[in-house]
Amino acid sequence: MEENNTVVNGAKQYIVVKLDNEQYGVDISYIDNIVRMQQITRVPKAQSYFPGVINLRGEIIPVMNLRLKFDLAYKEYTNTTRILIVKPESGAKIGILVDEVREVVTLEEECIEKAVYDEQGANLIGVGKYKDTLISILNIHGVIAELESNAW
Amino acid sequence: MDLSQYLEIFIDETKEHLQTLNDQVLILEAEPDNIDTVNEIFRAAHSLKGMAGTMGFKRMQRLTHDMENVFSEIRNGKMSVTPDLVDVVFKCLDAIEEYLSCIVESSDEGENDNEDIIGMLNACLESGGGSAPEQPAAAPAQEQKPAAGEDDKRKFLHISIADFEKNAINEAKAKNLNVYGATVYVDEKCVLKAARAFLVFKGVEAIGEIIKSVPSVQDIEEEKFDLDFSMLIISEKSIEDVRKAITNVSEIRDVALENYDIPKDVEVVSSVQIKETKEEKKEESKKKNAAAKTGGKPVANRSVRVDIEKLDDLMNLVSELIIAKNGLVSVSNQEDNRTSMQSFNEQIEYLERITTNLHESVMKVRMVPIESVVNRFPRMIRDLSKKLGKEMELIMTGEDTELDRTVIDEIGDPLMHMLRNSADHGLESTIDRLKLGKPQVGTIKLNAYQDGNNVTIEVEDDGAGIDVEKVKASAVKKGHITEEQAENMPEKEAIDLLFRPAFSTAEKISDVSGRGVGLDVVKNKIEGLGGDVEVSTKLGEGTKFTVRLPLTLAIIQALMVEVRNEKYAIALNSIVTIEDVLVSDIKYVKQKEVINLRGTVIPLVRLDEVLDCAPAEEEPENLVIVIVKKGDKQAGLVIDNLLGQQEIVIKPLGKYINIHKMISGATILGDGEVALIIDTNSLV
Repeated sequence: MEENNTVVNGAKQYIVVKLDNEQYGVDISYIDNIVRMQQITRVPKAQSYFPGVINLRGEIIPVMNLRLKFDLAYKEYTNTTRILIVKPESGAKIGILVDEVREVVTLEEECIEKAVYDEQGANLIGVGKYKDTLISILNIHGVIAELESNAW
Repeated sequence: MDLSQYLEIFIDETKEHLQTLNDQVLILEAEPDNIDTVNEIFRAAHSLKGMAGTMGFKRMQRLTHDMENVFSEIRNGKMSVTPDLVDVVFKCLDAIEEYLSCIVESSDEGENDNEDIIGMLNACLESGGGSAPEQPAAAPAQEQKPAAGEDDKRKFLHISIADFEKNAINEAKAKNLNVYGATVYVDEKCVLKAARAFLVFKGVEAIGEIIKSVPSVQDIEEEKFDLDFSMLIISEKSIEDVRKAITNVSEIRDVALENYDIPKDVEVVSSVQIKETKEEKKEESKKKNAAAKTGGKPVANRSVRVDIEKLDDLMNLVSELIIAKNGLVSVSNQEDNRTSMQSFNEQIEYLERITTNLHESVMKVRMVPIESVVNRFPRMIRDLSKKLGKEMELIMTGEDTELDRTVIDEIGDPLMHMLRNSADHGLESTIDRLKLGKPQVGTIKLNAYQDGNNVTIEVEDDGAGIDVEKVKASAVKKGHITEEQAENMPEKEAIDLLFRPAFSTAEKISDVSGRGVGLDVVKNKIEGLGGDVEVSTKLGEGTKFTVRLPLTLAIIQALMVEVRNEKYAIALNSIVTIEDVLVSDIKYVKQKEVINLRGTVIPLVRLDEVLDCAPAEEEPENLVIVIVKKGDKQAGLVIDNLLGQQEIVIKPLGKYINIHKMISGATILGDGEVALIIDTNSLV
């Protein structure tokens, strides 16, 4: 579905992030930046999983907490907490708050098992096998599309 | 080369010409003998025709051509201007506008031939005498030429070929490619032969290669040819494809095309000679280009078009600078070393000067006179006057008042709506006016002026005014309010009912207005721009709509306040006063908190509750209350602390996050912290 392969012959690079013990992969072509935790300004009446907005070099970017989005328990921010600045489309950025950013991996298309559609189906593209670990590949557009339908 | 790069210029210029035409024809309607106006119209029509032709918009060209004919006759004194003619011309302008909007949307002029309008134009021509015999005379002349001998047409047979061209042809034949000779005849009415030829070349080059053309490409580009030119083409496509590529271009009357063999009797010019002449010509054309560049400038300078995106980038720079300034301010506050303090202060002053200048100059670039929006209104009022059968005139003042570009782009529709409203509902019919002893011609005034940091636009009519009782009755009938409410409703509030969705007092739904999608849309739009709209009316004397808009949307003066530990900004221009009120002074009306401030009862809004802040640990004895206004209404916002006044840069909050309408944006403070801006309009 994506044309912007970072590596030829069907392999793509993913940034591996952690929530609790589960690993998630985000297509690196969407990543604009990774920043440390910084002060977040609360936005009243926003979706519950949006802690607020941050100032990234003069640009105001909404930040969502992936833990809350995935209905995981709230956890205090730590030294390893990072904000992935994701650019799903040109001219729009969103920050995604994760517990930890681990590494960049390259996964072949064949190593990713496409997701069967369960309740998280829209959020995940599939599960990738890397060495002996499993990485859930996030569907960035899915994560965001759902936000829009939740709008009130 | 691609024509699409000219499309934008074409669209802009066509708009300009159309505006001129509309303006001038309006003048012409009032003064049918004004020869200057006729000349002006003729020139504009002529330019339009030429541009449309160059861009290959045949239908548009045809229409403008016929219009030009009419004005040519008028100019020569063979025809006089009649009201009927003016109507037809206006219809014609509308049709051109339609073409243009088609072009804007799809880069294509659409399928509408507008035969009826062309027919009407020609009828005008005929009835006016003059040119009627001219056209039939032209037609036979056209038909005669194609009838001339076949051989004559194949001028390409006489092309002289150089060695290398001969080689190329032989090589192509060896590769089984087709070699065609073509002679293209351009329509004699064609205005821009070079452009046509260019299009032909472009079309052919898309499917093959042109190895030679007579006259040379340079000569053709400089229009140094009669009505025909010949060329040799190498292509793998069939002869029919090539023919299609050529005849696709408009104003090509005929093309002689067939397979080409090198004729034996053709003289072979040595290639050296050709190269020489080619180089000479190149230099010549370079000189010409240079001359054209220097000569062409003043024309383009008439209007400045700035890419809005570039402007926005510039704006970002400015905002960055202001943020930097704020940063310096906050650092200097913490510093106690005296010398560095002084340099800091100097720095700040310097920075401040830059930012102010930069701000000002950028703003100037962004400012557009309101004229660009309102100049289409005289025409609209004229049409409405005809349609509604009411006599009316539009008096516009203050068209040179400037507004921010973003506001200008949005304000056109609401203003148009208000004018239509005044024309349709406001003004009485001519008969009624005479009965009432009013001047026969109704007046609508559009007045714009700058007022501090706002621009005020007034739309005023001297019509019947708003019948408040009728409004109330209509509101009751539609279920907006109960009868009881209607009785107690003050006039002001009743008039505000007009701004409710789906509310129209017009008994008849007309083409012009009264569909109920009216004033509420106007109000929403204007409030979306950070402005407000008010109505004042006097029964029997008229109605006045007053629109107030901020000069600019990007940088505002704001009061910074603290609610719990969060910082918020409130636009200074909506603040009336700031009051210290004892908790014991709070009264209750209908279980809602209010204060009595010097005789006015003002409802309180607890910002901490509205903003979902954590509840206060203990209620203080004194409350700090910011009194804000929206039109005539006021409200008191309860806050915890005042932080002071600051110039802030408004930034959007970004996509994906849901934003309540009481948050109108955000800004970045000196220390990098983000503060939200509260839109007090949604709280009052």
